[in-house]
Amino acid sequence: MKKELRLMKGNEALAEAAILYGCDAYFGYPITPQSEILEYLSNEAAKRTGMVILQAESEIASINMVYGAAGTGKRVMTSSSSPGMSLMQEGISYIACGEIPCVLVNVQRGGPGLGTIQPGQADYFQSVKGGGHGDYKLVTYAPSTVQEMVDFVFDGFDLAFKYRTPVMILTDGALGQMMEKVLLPEQRPRKTEYEPWGSTGKTPDRERNIIYTLSLQPDVMEKWNERLQKKYRSIEANEIRFEAIDCEDADYVLVAYGLVARICQKAAHIARDHGIKVGVFRPITLYPFPYEQLNKVADNVKAFMTVEMNAGQMLEDVKLAVNGKKSVEFYGRMGGMIPSPEDIFAKLEEKLNHPVSKLVGELA
Amino acid sequence: MANNINTVETEVKYTAKDFSSGIDVKWCPGCGDYSILAQVQRSSPDFGAKKEDIVWVSGIGCSSRFPYYMNTYGFHGIHGRAAAIATGVKLANPKLQVWVATGDGDMLSIGGNHFIHACRKNIDLKIVMFNNRIYGLTKGQYSPTSEKGKVTKSSPYGTVDWPFNAIKLATGSGATFVARSMDRDPKHLQEILSRAAKHKGVTFIEVLQNCPIFNDGAFFNLTEKETRADNVVYLEHAKPLVFGEKQNKGIKLDGLNPIIIDLEDGKHSVNDCLVHDETDDNPTRIFLMARFTDIPGYPTPVGVFRNYSKQTYDGDYVQQIEGLKQKMGVGTYDALMFSENTWEVK
Repeated sequence: MKKELRLMKGNEALAEAAILYGCDAYFGYPITPQSEILEYLSNEAAKRTGMVILQAESEIASINMVYGAAGTGKRVMTSSSSPGMSLMQEGISYIACGEIPCVLVNVQRGGPGLGTIQPGQADYFQSVKGGGHGDYKLVTYAPSTVQEMVDFVFDGFDLAFKYRTPVMILTDGALGQMMEKVLLPEQRPRKTEYEPWGSTGKTPDRERNIIYTLSLQPDVMEKWNERLQKKYRSIEANEIRFEAIDCEDADYVLVAYGLVARICQKAAHIARDHGIKVGVFRPITLYPFPYEQLNKVADNVKAFMTVEMNAGQMLEDVKLAVNGKKSVEFYGRMGGMIPSPEDIFAKLEEKLNHPVSKLVGELA
Repeated sequence: MANNINTVETEVKYTAKDFSSGIDVKWCPGCGDYSILAQVQRSSPDFGAKKEDIVWVSGIGCSSRFPYYMNTYGFHGIHGRAAAIATGVKLANPKLQVWVATGDGDMLSIGGNHFIHACRKNIDLKIVMFNNRIYGLTKGQYSPTSEKGKVTKSSPYGTVDWPFNAIKLATGSGATFVARSMDRDPKHLQEILSRAAKHKGVTFIEVLQNCPIFNDGAFFNLTEKETRADNVVYLEHAKPLVFGEKQNKGIKLDGLNPIIIDLEDGKHSVNDCLVHDETDDNPTRIFLMARFTDIPGYPTPVGVFRNYSKQTYDGDYVQQIEGLKQKMGVGTYDALMFSENTWEVK
């Protein structure tokens, strides 16, 4: 099968990518706005690659099925939306501690609580700061196009197995539902080889494996933690991804991820049309966060404005990165509201009080 | 019974209108939920409680929009957690009459654990489960009551899951009032609701409900005039199990196996039929009848399967506290601070 160009919904493209990667199993539970992932896979996967698709009785069941299946060394994925992701946090902590590779997808909606089914970005903290208990990290990719919904499934599985760690694709309901042109990679074969750490039974040529996350002896548990932390330092050194768009000559830089980063690019164009040099800095990996890369940008700009669909979460990491070099402003929409490019430009002007605003006049 | 208001006569005479919140009802046109809402509102005046003492708790799903539409206190809760939330409401406020509106997905899938434990504890909750055998709110995936082999958006080649039999599950978990009714049998549903209101302990009503959008006609053989008589057996306490257009068929027990008998064949009479005893604390016959829906050709029992009383968790709990207060007296701050496990640091 060759590479194929198709017009697809984000959720469907992501599901298609899982099949194409040769994913072995998917466990999920219906929740808007991501049920298409379960539905698409139910339709397509079994007949094409024999991938296992199971509608679980809850998100708690889903994540524990992932724990089980991925614990045997298979390529396993689950997806949900914000409230369902909250339910999975316990399992994610165990999976991270047990060093089990898997790919998790959160098609975010506005919260807290049942919130809304409209898109949101308020699960940033939950994803990158450890939504479950204990010191663990979740490598978090933030796609901003339907194409990246596909690409990050591939990159996510690669990285998950490279480091034996769970990987999150943190997207939102708008990207999940929107249709875009997408280039699909070639079909990869399903995995046949055993993982040496996988809990797949003892054969004469290998030791048995027991997956566990417990040690009552604190010194042993501390060593375990140190091993995890060493892995996270390695991920931080090697896996940071970001995009700096028109930042070289920019006076002001908008920092945003995912869907909002795209809206910010349009806002930056509007600003440049008004003679204000604005760039966009887009972290692609939210963990590991591009602290140093953003810090360098701070040397050449006057100020930053972080734009998010939440009350200011990535804002904290942006401030840590900028480290007081320049001021960091914030513009956020909540509860499922999406900022428009015009909103962002108006807010930028207001926040930065740029002298040019006097020339271009008051904005509506 | 200081801890239960179900027996207290209401001072005001209510009508159905008093229980309508008046806000726009947002279900799809033709949804069976409209009928369930109407029957609840019509029977609420018989619930034996003031409307300010009634709380409707729900989880998440189409059914769970219910509390918005009732002019009582309410709780639109968390997916699957309605029984747990309702337990909290009831234990913290034993005088309230607590109802749960839920669905087959909410209560039997993600909420299965809380459901069986509420039944086990026999907390005085009245659970009304709308069973449409589908996930409606997420637009058509199979549910834990979907029949095996069902084709849905998430099972394009048919499910391989076995469904739950909700009556068996509730009975097996210890629910003390277990009933089934239908959205398209308004009088029957009203009667069951009114009876449930008077029961103390876990009340479980499975309401077979049509989802016209994602699972239309799932129960039409039970609810429509032409087919109802042959496919439904109405359970009535101390009455034989008889059904059919001319009440010409009956259910007889052959050992522990139910068999359908023809009452007009000259060999059998109504005296041969199994007589329903809803107060029996031995659930064997309840399971037998609940299983009819799993056997092809057998009528679906509708009515009260089980209605017997045993101590309730909330009743016992309040009693335990009162007992301790009487035995030990009402505690004081000093007595608490200088009781066991405290010592003076010198």
